[in-house]
Amino acid sequence: MGTFWRGILKGALGPRDNDSRFLLDVHSRDLPGETTMARYRDDDEVDLVIVGAGAGGSVLAQRLARHGWRVVIIEAGPFWHPDEDWVSDEAGSHPLYWTQKRIISGADPIELGKNNSGRGVGGSMVHYAGYTPRFHPSDLSTYTDDGVGADWPICYEDLRPHYEQVEAELPVAGQDWPWGYPHRYPFSPHPVSGAAEKLREGALRCGIEMRVGPVGIVNGTFGNRPHCIYRGYCLQGCKVNAKASPYVTHLPDALAHGVEVRANCMALRVEIRQDSGRARGVVYATESGGAHRLQRARYVAIAGYSVETPRLLLASVSRRFPSGLCNNVDQVGRYVMVQGATQTAGRWPFELRMYKAPPPEISSEQFYETDPARGFARGFSIQTVSPLPIGWAEHVLADGHWGWALREYMRDYNHWATIGVLNELLPHPDNRITLADETDPYGQPIARMDYTLGDNDRANMAYSTKVITDILHAADAQDVLTIQRFAHLIGGARMGSFPEHSVVDANQRAWAVPNLFIADGSVCPTQGSANPALTIMALASRLAQRMASGAAMDDDPGARTGRTRSRAGNRR
Amino acid sequence: MPDLTSADHLPKRRPGGAALHPSWLPRQRRGTTPQMIGRYPDFNVLDAVDTWDEATKKVVLARLEPPGPLRFFTSDEEPVLRALCDTVLAQDREPRVPVAEMVDGKLADGLLDGYQYADMPDDRDTWRLVLRGLDHTATLGYQTGFAGCAEAQREAIVSEFAQGRLVGGAWDELNVAHAWSVVIRMMLAAFYSHPWAWNEIGFGGPAYPRGFMRLGGPGADGPAVREPFEQPGATDEDPVQVVDAWER
Ligand SMILES: Cc1cc2nc3c(=O)[nH]c(=O)nc-3n(C[C@H](O)[C@H](O)[C@H](O)COP(=O)(O)OP(=O)(O)OC[C@H]3O[C@@H](n4cnc5c(N)ncnc54)[C@H](O)[C@@H]3O)c2cc1C
Ligand code: SF4
Repeated sequence: MGTFWRGILKGALGPRDNDSRFLLDVHSRDLPGETTMARYRDDDEVDLVIVGAGAGGSVLAQRLARHGWRVVIIEAGPFWHPDEDWVSDEAGSHPLYWTQKRIISGADPIELGKNNSGRGVGGSMVHYAGYTPRFHPSDLSTYTDDGVGADWPICYEDLRPHYEQVEAELPVAGQDWPWGYPHRYPFSPHPVSGAAEKLREGALRCGIEMRVGPVGIVNGTFGNRPHCIYRGYCLQGCKVNAKASPYVTHLPDALAHGVEVRANCMALRVEIRQDSGRARGVVYATESGGAHRLQRARYVAIAGYSVETPRLLLASVSRRFPSGLCNNVDQVGRYVMVQGATQTAGRWPFELRMYKAPPPEISSEQFYETDPARGFARGFSIQTVSPLPIGWAEHVLADGHWGWALREYMRDYNHWATIGVLNELLPHPDNRITLADETDPYGQPIARMDYTLGDNDRANMAYSTKVITDILHAADAQDVLTIQRFAHLIGGARMGSFPEHSVVDANQRAWAVPNLFIADGSVCPTQGSANPALTIMALASRLAQRMASGAAMDDDPGARTGRTRSRAGNRR
Repeated sequence: MPDLTSADHLPKRRPGGAALHPSWLPRQRRGTTPQMIGRYPDFNVLDAVDTWDEATKKVVLARLEPPGPLRFFTSDEEPVLRALCDTVLAQDREPRVPVAEMVDGKLADGLLDGYQYADMPDDRDTWRLVLRGLDHTATLGYQTGFAGCAEAQREAIVSEFAQGRLVGGAWDELNVAHAWSVVIRMMLAAFYSHPWAWNEIGFGGPAYPRGFMRLGGPGADGPAVREPFEQPGATDEDPVQVVDAWER
């Protein structure tokens, strides 16, 4: 549909082939279909078994179920009953996070836990903030264009229709988007809170353009999903069903089309036929110390998040794969990326009460691409955020305050507004997920993540911190507090054109196992400065389309290498 | 009382970065705050309990129950733990948020954050080592255990801890900077999850199913800023309520 009609019909269009919004119950937040969904026996060879009911896994399941595939999702965490399980409270939301132990190391260890991934049906998007920007076309060719990072084996045109479809499904609300590949959103922008308005004022004075959104939050009503009530607890799970997560956007439709989500089941290994080298299915346990079961399947897809996907591959040791599945060329777990996510807060004479409205409000991608004048490759985006009290305490602490000084800054909470950046940090082979010696209660080795920043990364972070601090000063902030942090893991099983340098091919199919796919953020070769969830969903949507048509199983070397369309397709 | 439209009460704006003594703060008139001080003397977040959903109510109100005995820490460790919590959160008198008990409960139930630095033991062991380390440093410097130190002495030790500079004894088994991050994050999360702390800072608290109509912003008295149940911050109009008996 042309841009003109998308503008005229804003807020009135729904996605095709996904009825999730109508299947939801107006009076209950439970996932409809939990009690009536299909059940498959372990020895019944289903068409596809997916590990992880998160952003990638849920979209893949929903799409293929629509094509008549019999799909089982193995999910480590629980089936949520949001009315009872989720609370409007920071500390009380601890059960949403993946809090099983992980070891962190390297020169710049990344703190995981609540800030990184979720555990349960719906995955991390249950408690993600809700920003849903697209990657830019330039993200897919950073090596060719800037001499850094890696080129993707696919081009922007491969993703674009899926971006549009997923944006209609979430649905995304925001102003017309001038950056990257310019586009419009299906829903109008949300009203802006007082705190974010103050920040926009400063940005404008610095000559920086900011736009409202893009957020996967209903503005208006959307089927049986109500309008956002601006309560500000998006990172604690939306009890309203206004914020998009697979729990409301894809799983209702998936369950209605024959998908079984097997919750509280931890996948322990992908079982490989030693004769043919094909995957037989996934071995899992229903409780720690419990018996191991094997769900048989024609195809296997892993979508367990950038830490757990490499961990599962590495733990799947067999005669054919003595150092972990797909790891005979030592690529699994490498090139794990995060984004720099420094936040800085400013103080004003009047009360702003930043706890109101969704934390994601307005953003800018003006600094996204390389500008040689800045002295480093690639760039960053700017987004407003708004920590609740515990998050604010961590912010104040990071600036070096505790005791009486901390209490003083905390009492001043209502006078502050916070702005953050997302820096594109470059992939590096030694930033890696490996297995630690320690095991978890299932007897599975736990993951270890090593992370060290490079010089380009540090230069990018320093420059962007100055830009957002300037914004605060331009808006006449009276005091400034800064926290350096990281967000958004991606990579660890990247896709590429050559088996020596990647784990999966252009169709996200493992080079080493013909019927194994990877369907989450682990496959991304670079991460740009955009939050990843929309791209993870769009990639899964594309993968599903290609699996359904058989194109993803194409053994033709050209098809596996990708980039069959002209490279020019990346640029407009 | 300082003028809140200026930022002169904020530590970074003051000589040496030192916090102003809290005696300038009004005494809480409604509800409870830690030490009965705060910037919103007429605000009690618990007045809105009837607008919270049942699940949230259960979780938040449980924090107001009288704290039980410690389950994770031993009676030897208890005084050091309490002294550390009091110093880090500047709680020098009742009413206190029971941070020690809240931390103890989390450790006893194994509710940890989900990551561990490679150069550190399990968080539970880190806590015990930190308490031993504090006693070690206090004994060397002041010939008494950490709990026996005067407030200024404890602050001096914690300040070194915060900068990762403590050595000797149990500290040599830890990366001290990482240990600081482990223990302080848990104390902060406990303190600022407590409704008394929300009263002190004027935080609106849980907001489901009610939500917010007024999204805050400049124009201090305009209806655009506050919900009817939210109270404006303290001004200097009511000096009678100021606690002047505050002697540290
Ligand atoms: C606090 C926070 C804020 C965020 N904000 C944003 C934002 O504003 N915008 C944005 O785009 N992104 C945001 N993100 C990131 C985004 O949520 C994730 O990138 C995205 O959800 C990852 O998708 P995924 O499919 O890779 O994994 P997930 O969605 O995490 O799904 C993985 C699932 O697999 C399950 N699993 C893992 N291992 C196993 C196993 N062995 N057996 C069975 N099941 C398993 C997990 O329990 C989980 O449910 C945020 C994340 C967090 C934590
Ligand atoms: S602010 Fe809106 S989207 Fe966020 S949790 Fe509340 S209702 Fe949901």
